[in-house]
Amino acid sequence: MSRNALLWLIWFIATLSASAAVAALVFVGGDRSSLLIGETTGTHAQFEMACESCHAGNALDTDKKQAKALNKTCVTCHQDELKASNDSHPYKKFRDPRMADYWDLIDARTCTACHAEHKPEITRPGAVTLAMDYCVACHSQGEQDVRVNRASHAGLGFETCASSGCHNFHDNRALYEDFLVKHADEPWLHEAPVHELEAALRSPRAPAPAAAPTPTPAMSPAPEGALTVEIVAAYEASAHPGGEVGCASCHAAEAGKEPSAEDVLANWQDQPGTATCESCHKAEAKTFRIGRHGMRRHPKIAKPRDPVRALKAVGIKLDRKGELATLIREYLSDAPYPTVMTVAESPLPMKAEAAHEELTCTSCHGPHRVDLNRARVESCASCHDDGHTRAYFGSPHHKLWQAELAGAAAPGTGVTCATCHLPKEETERGLVTNHNQNDVLRPNEKMIRPVCMDCHGLGFAIDALADPGLVSSNFQGRPETHIESIDWATRRVREKATGANQ
Amino acid sequence: MNWTHVKATAAAAVLAAGMGMPAAADDLSYQEVTDMLHVVMDTDRSVYTKNVVARLAVKDKVIKASEYYEDEQALPLPAQMFRFGAEGVADKTDAFSYSLLSLWPINKQNAPRTDLEKEGLQYIVDNPGENFYGEEELGGEVYFTAVYPDVAVAQVCASCHNDHKDTPRSDFELDDVMGGVVIRIPMD
Repeated sequence: MSRNALLWLIWFIATLSASAAVAALVFVGGDRSSLLIGETTGTHAQFEMACESCHAGNALDTDKKQAKALNKTCVTCHQDELKASNDSHPYKKFRDPRMADYWDLIDARTCTACHAEHKPEITRPGAVTLAMDYCVACHSQGEQDVRVNRASHAGLGFETCASSGCHNFHDNRALYEDFLVKHADEPWLHEAPVHELEAALRSPRAPAPAAAPTPTPAMSPAPEGALTVEIVAAYEASAHPGGEVGCASCHAAEAGKEPSAEDVLANWQDQPGTATCESCHKAEAKTFRIGRHGMRRHPKIAKPRDPVRALKAVGIKLDRKGELATLIREYLSDAPYPTVMTVAESPLPMKAEAAHEELTCTSCHGPHRVDLNRARVESCASCHDDGHTRAYFGSPHHKLWQAELAGAAAPGTGVTCATCHLPKEETERGLVTNHNQNDVLRPNEKMIRPVCMDCHGLGFAIDALADPGLVSSNFQGRPETHIESIDWATRRVREKATGANQ
Repeated sequence: MNWTHVKATAAAAVLAAGMGMPAAADDLSYQEVTDMLHVVMDTDRSVYTKNVVARLAVKDKVIKASEYYEDEQALPLPAQMFRFGAEGVADKTDAFSYSLLSLWPINKQNAPRTDLEKEGLQYIVDNPGENFYGEEELGGEVYFTAVYPDVAVAQVCASCHNDHKDTPRSDFELDDVMGGVVIRIPMD
């Protein structure tokens, strides 16, 4: 064999081997972090190595089929919030063939038309990857020309539609015209502002621990040394004793109902996991898992791939003994996906001393002393270190909370971090706290109806949330921005009498 | 017009069964299919308008009908009921689609968009009692498109449209053609 032929052979074998190794990582299993084509957006980063969570289609399918499968996974996770938002631009609207001429402008039949992933360099607020004047595509022509339909909009730039506090693409529950008119004359602050749902759930701060608490029957049995004075005191101050939740309920959940002392001790866990809390607090757990704090426990995140099963499907047996098979299995095995997020992984400003903390139920609630008042403020501030959080202390909202804690104001009048970011909801199971902190946050106009309007007029709420400086200072002062939505809407309704709209 | 005959769709077969026709019909024209679909749509729409909205919101005045029916704890408007049905059908099948359009829409989204929609809506206004049928290519696919007149079956239809702040026309009367139901079937 000539030298050239040998070199060609080596090149061919090396190329083939490298291609096979990379293809195996993509299609079978193994560490594929080096193949990530770009950082994912927001909380998607928490499971970005579980690629199949989004890329659920068959790799051999056509581009059209893969795009359809990809978008189906978006809806799988986001359909509830889209439904709740009374989506102004539901994708089903654009599937109608009569909308075909729009498909060439923005194909709104797919989520990825506006929210492309792995493109951090062009990702804008709201995970939008289009230029922010995207409304121009459809609302600058024909019957949809907003400059014709609304005289007040004639001179406005399309880049301001969704960035000024006036409109959102999906969620306009607090911004639609009739709602603006209905709430046009509200004062900036209602006469007796109170969060009714909060008030129903708030209770006085937990009593101070007893000096020498006595273990109750519900606590026993427990391993020797487990029942310290501090733990017993904290437990007694919580709601768990009233709910007949004893030590074994959490620490020996596997022992079953009414277990013997032997069963409890045999199944004892010093630090039971989040799943233990979830077994009772189902409604809270459900929303915790779809928020940023608990996203890594989201039920729709794909499981690590099984290389043995994948190769068996194409006739290759990998479940053999031997060093080579073991080596290949290790190379093709996905590392277990993390099930909790640490504070250090947050893209937001966080306190350095909290960096190692993991985000579980007990991060905010403490394992034994379930102090909801701590969870409402101090727990948040123990990690978050941004201007908005720091400015809360001393703000008007904080002062109201302090007054309520001191008994100088009625329950529900204080405003905590949780009041706005983890609002209470009425469900079929009663009042529950929505633990998805993002549910009313992005865009922040989502907060207007379930939170702000409990105390404030609509006009003030719109202005306040559209003023980044005021948000940053945690609403110390008055808005420097005025959004004219309500003015324009009321003017238009009044002009109806003169036929100005026709 | 040379009507291409098609195998009856499942929807048409169901409709046929419901109308007392042989469910095994397998050689219906596109026009026959859309006509049958429209009979069901038009009847349901009329029943909701007369027996629910006109009776409860106008005659008995026990509940309002509102575009923002959730916020207002009211009845959905007849046009919304029709659209919800169309969206529900679109979730289940691509075999056909339908919408309620008008030359005088309160919601601008319901104005005609395609040339055939414009022609069809004008035709049913100019020719009371007649339907319009045609073919059009949209998004690279050819559709059989039928347009049926949508008339004010109750006084409340005319009065609500006449009084709405966004209406481009305020002289509708009972039995006027206010718009049209557009039904499409892909011909491929």
